[in-house]
Amino acid sequence: MTAARLVGRAGERALLPCLVLLLSALSILPFGRLLAEGVAPKGVPSLDAVVAALSRSSTWVATVHSLEVAIGGTVLAVILGSAVALTVTLTDARLRSSFIFCFVLPLMIPPQVTALAWLQVMAPSSPLLGLLGFEPRLGQPNPLYSRQGIILILGLQYAPLVFLALRAGLRGLPGDLIEAARAAGGRPWTVLRTIILPLMAPHLIAATALSFVSCVGNFGIPAFLGIPANYLVLPTLIYQRLAGLGPTSLSEVSVLALVIGLIALTGIILQGIVTRGRDSRTMMMSVATRPFALGTWQRPVTWVMWLVVVAMLGLPVLGLLSTSLVPAYGVSLSAATATLENYNFVLFGHAASKRAMVNSFLLAAAAAVIVIAISVVLAYFLVWRRSVLLSLLNLAAELPYAVPGVVLAIASILVFLKPLPILGFSLYNTVWIILFAYVARFLILGLRPVVGGYSQLDRGLEEAAQVAGAGFFTRLRTIILPVISPSAVAGGFLVFMTAFNELTVSALLWSSGAETLGVVVFGFEQGGESTYASALALVTVVVTLALMLATLAAGRALPKGALPWRD
Amino acid sequence: MRGLASGLGAAASLVVAAILVSTPAAADKLTLYTSQPDKDAAETVAAFKAERPGTDVEIFRSGTTEILGKLAAEFSAGQPRPDVLLIADAVSMEILKKDNRLAAYKEAKLDGFPAGAYDPDRTYFGTKLITSGIVYHKNAKFQPTSWADLARPELKGQIIMPSPFYSGAAVIVLGAVTQQSSLGWKYFESLAANQTVSARGNGAVLKSVASGEKPYGIIVEFMALNAKAKGSPVEFVFPKEGVVPVTEPVAILRTAPNPVAARAFVDFLLSEKGQKVAAKQGYMPALSGIPSEMGLPPGEVNLMPMDVGRILSTTEEDKKRFAQLLGE
Amino acid sequence: MARLILDRVSKSFGTQEVLHGVDIDVADGELLAVLGPSGCGKTTLLRLVAGFETLNGGSIDIGGRRVSGNGIHVPPEDRRVGIVFQSYALWPHLTVEGNVEYALRVAGTPAVERRRRVADVLAKVGLEGFGSRRPAELSGGQRQRVALARCLVMEPSLVLLDEPLANLDVHLRASVEAEFVEFHRRTRTTMIYITHDQAEAMALADRIAVLDQGVLMQIAPPAKLYAEPANAMVAGFVGRGMVIPAIVLTGEVDGRCRVSVFGMEVVVRCASGQRAISQAMLCLRPRDLSVTFGDGIPCRLSRAIYQGGGFRLEVEPDMAADTMLTLDVPDTAGIGHGDRVAVTIRDGWVIPA
Repeated sequence: MTAARLVGRAGERALLPCLVLLLSALSILPFGRLLAEGVAPKGVPSLDAVVAALSRSSTWVATVHSLEVAIGGTVLAVILGSAVALTVTLTDARLRSSFIFCFVLPLMIPPQVTALAWLQVMAPSSPLLGLLGFEPRLGQPNPLYSRQGIILILGLQYAPLVFLALRAGLRGLPGDLIEAARAAGGRPWTVLRTIILPLMAPHLIAATALSFVSCVGNFGIPAFLGIPANYLVLPTLIYQRLAGLGPTSLSEVSVLALVIGLIALTGIILQGIVTRGRDSRTMMMSVATRPFALGTWQRPVTWVMWLVVVAMLGLPVLGLLSTSLVPAYGVSLSAATATLENYNFVLFGHAASKRAMVNSFLLAAAAAVIVIAISVVLAYFLVWRRSVLLSLLNLAAELPYAVPGVVLAIASILVFLKPLPILGFSLYNTVWIILFAYVARFLILGLRPVVGGYSQLDRGLEEAAQVAGAGFFTRLRTIILPVISPSAVAGGFLVFMTAFNELTVSALLWSSGAETLGVVVFGFEQGGESTYASALALVTVVVTLALMLATLAAGRALPKGALPWRD
Repeated sequence: MRGLASGLGAAASLVVAAILVSTPAAADKLTLYTSQPDKDAAETVAAFKAERPGTDVEIFRSGTTEILGKLAAEFSAGQPRPDVLLIADAVSMEILKKDNRLAAYKEAKLDGFPAGAYDPDRTYFGTKLITSGIVYHKNAKFQPTSWADLARPELKGQIIMPSPFYSGAAVIVLGAVTQQSSLGWKYFESLAANQTVSARGNGAVLKSVASGEKPYGIIVEFMALNAKAKGSPVEFVFPKEGVVPVTEPVAILRTAPNPVAARAFVDFLLSEKGQKVAAKQGYMPALSGIPSEMGLPPGEVNLMPMDVGRILSTTEEDKKRFAQLLGE
Repeated sequence: MARLILDRVSKSFGTQEVLHGVDIDVADGELLAVLGPSGCGKTTLLRLVAGFETLNGGSIDIGGRRVSGNGIHVPPEDRRVGIVFQSYALWPHLTVEGNVEYALRVAGTPAVERRRRVADVLAKVGLEGFGSRRPAELSGGQRQRVALARCLVMEPSLVLLDEPLANLDVHLRASVEAEFVEFHRRTRTTMIYITHDQAEAMALADRIAVLDQGVLMQIAPPAKLYAEPANAMVAGFVGRGMVIPAIVLTGEVDGRCRVSVFGMEVVVRCASGQRAISQAMLCLRPRDLSVTFGDGIPCRLSRAIYQGGGFRLEVEPDMAADTMLTLDVPDTAGIGHGDRVAVTIRDGWVIPA
């Protein structure tokens, strides 16, 4: 055995403890610290913090609000997302791939931008409505500053999530099962009710749970729509406490974070309970190919689908655009008043937004690269070296994404507030704490496509290299990486775009000099500078769209199914 | 495929390198925390940098109260970042001064500044006079002239004001108005009865009034007057009972990493040049002899009498009581 | 029970034509097997009859009713056509009973009658007492029967079977095959049986339709299909026929004629009215050939393969070394690779031109 091979062996053996350590630091440590802060602030077991937080009426009001909007938003998302998924997958409506791209696009647009954009659409005095000749009545409030407004936008934001989950399920639905039902005399609606929906139940339930957890954890939408109406949900309550009072409120917000975590986990556990006992394993793979002909309805249905896209995508973008072109809010937009001054300011004049662009870009890129580096190694073990320990590692990777972002943010503050041992400096108030949180939170987004890539990889490829005498790292570099890299790149893109548009985590973790795009847009809107906010938001939308189109152009090099917006 | 893999590796090293480069220890860097609107802060810093080209200024902008929260977080992490603070009101400065966070700057040139404009211990210095008054949409049927007008029943559901949980100026409005025998807490109770909404900052108030969503608001005068000049459909009125003044003080932190540049920045704000920049932005300069370019000269405006010391002692209690009436 | 008529049925997907002018007339109560290599269009044919696809040309009538063609397209749910899918397509979320009673439930049949008919049909397929099981708990053969029961419970006018034995173990096939024959004999339901397995088709069908590349090659009873293939494709596809060139020397007399094959003259079967032509095709089966030590077609042995109980010889005629003739012998009698053998032809069929 040569020295190089010995090193390779040792490297492989040492990697697993490294991964355990890494995931402990990324996931188990922060959440453990959070739990400890809730039940034992300052290291002494005590329920004082819990009692203090739970005895405030604001906590309960925010909890009720969180549940209200999460349930409402989920119901809306499930209805809209399922309707579209069923139509697109099961009927012969036309122009589907471009429709799917457009319908999934809002998922890649950050929630706070969606909220901001819809505010511009719905504001009685918005430049957009002004252009259309609407004259607002004084004192007429923006209907979106309300519970219903939050529910509506949450529903629109997460409908694509339900769509994707259900579409994936429908694509695995054997066409025979539908045809058998039709041959047995079932009309399309009957077949939908008695065969398709029952078979899709696990997917629908999973999509519902996912959407519920996302709604509970969403910060951007209730921050933009709820705070001005004093309608606080748990994430915005945490934000206000922490922003207003600083770390003195940490014990209390830790309890609030635990409450959100609990609600989210309840949703996930409920999903497990409801799904258990259902047997919907199908035995054959012969995929359904749009079994229902729309006939004379084909044209109207296609039109309605495009109307949905225009409403979900076109209107908000127009709203942003029109607001970003006026010199001051309330000034009506016309050829005479239109100005690019807002763009000039956010792109060239305003130091923080220039910084934020660089920060968000580098944070997202760094998070993507680190996540993919971890994923390539972790997935190797997850797919090819199954063990209980590895299942636990997988769970540890899932956790930071499964729980709402504010929970992870608070947990990260708790871990990094005090200076690090030995090194003697604190990561809190630096850009590094955001990077840490991004890597922890988005690890699973990169890991899933890479695991998918490994699963499709013939183990024999690697074993052949091993027989040929290649050590672990040599195999990784020469055999695995070249084959895995399309999945890895797809995962990296997903992480990049999600992190680039992130607000929830950075809203609590940012510091001066370490602003993110989300934070700056939020700051503008909070300060009443909707015109700047709209201009910057539109810039981020354009960048996001450009990246998505770039991945489409990269086309076949990237694996199918790894990027949600590519059908 | 191999191309993708090596591309990935190259991207990794590039990003890591970029991050390392993007956080350099600048030779002369000044960190400013301010509650000025983004645009004003950017202009102020640009004027300062014209005077002192070698200094790189990093601005962090938020509401005064939020800045204090951020600072509290930094103090507990043991790494306060800013050199200078430029925030709305003296009361907030007093809180920091009490905690021994501010550095005295005995050599500050204060000729021409009224004695009340700065801390006798020279830890903070008022840079301008910002007054809070009433803004209304130009199409509003009723044109208010006094604070008391906002309590009229016909304005129910039409008023917005900045939250003292965000704005420093609002803290002083709250403190000053509740000290008036003619207004007092009864006034805020009637505002609450009129379904007045509290917003996060003066900017949010301006937007709400300009859009007509809430036609009446309490606001700092320069913001309303600047917007009006830009074409925004708003009017500003100095209420009869008197406007509530704040001084937008500047202070140097005791922990300032770059005290030299910090002093230079204070010097600049207090200089004739700095004061003229403020005047141009629509503020009333604190330095006597520099005329305001917008609104009324301070002499002709009635200032609401107030006891700043008492505000300092009651401010926490005031905020709580306010939250009960109007929310945070 | 119904007669099924396909009249000049054509179907294209995009620019690709998968069925080209197919004419099939299935008598009431007949079991017709549709046989062909994969991709020949047989599944498309079934889907057209079921109504899952629309026609591009021609028409389909079931029981005297036009269901496809001439601008008519009766949707599948209104055709009363029973289907047994290759995958069985059992709904995993329903029990055996739930699967079987589905059609009745959809049709609004009262519960009492529904229960009776489900019990009846389950008894018929030998699955009494399995009603509450889930499909996942059944063996392959049992699932197959559930699929059949589900199809029969609606008393369809026509039953379509799409390779129903393809997913069964080899040893199960024979018994299920026998059950099908018995079942068809008892019910006389018109059945269309899609398969690529000719043994299966031969064993079951009244008639077999052979499809190739979307064109109907021949439709005939199994024995006739084997003995008298209509063209070279059928000859080669059914029963491993060898198709070799021959000269027809004389016209047909009593169903026979004289032909010359590789220089040897023999008498073989032919269609009535077969005339003498110089370029004909002869279909030969291995059993039509034998090794002789007398006169025969001179060949070279290229391979002898032992096949339990005897040998299959592959020989190349000297006159056409690229043609391979195969024949079965009980033993090789000591000849080996490269040795010379003479082959005689006992019987053959002149493929009609």
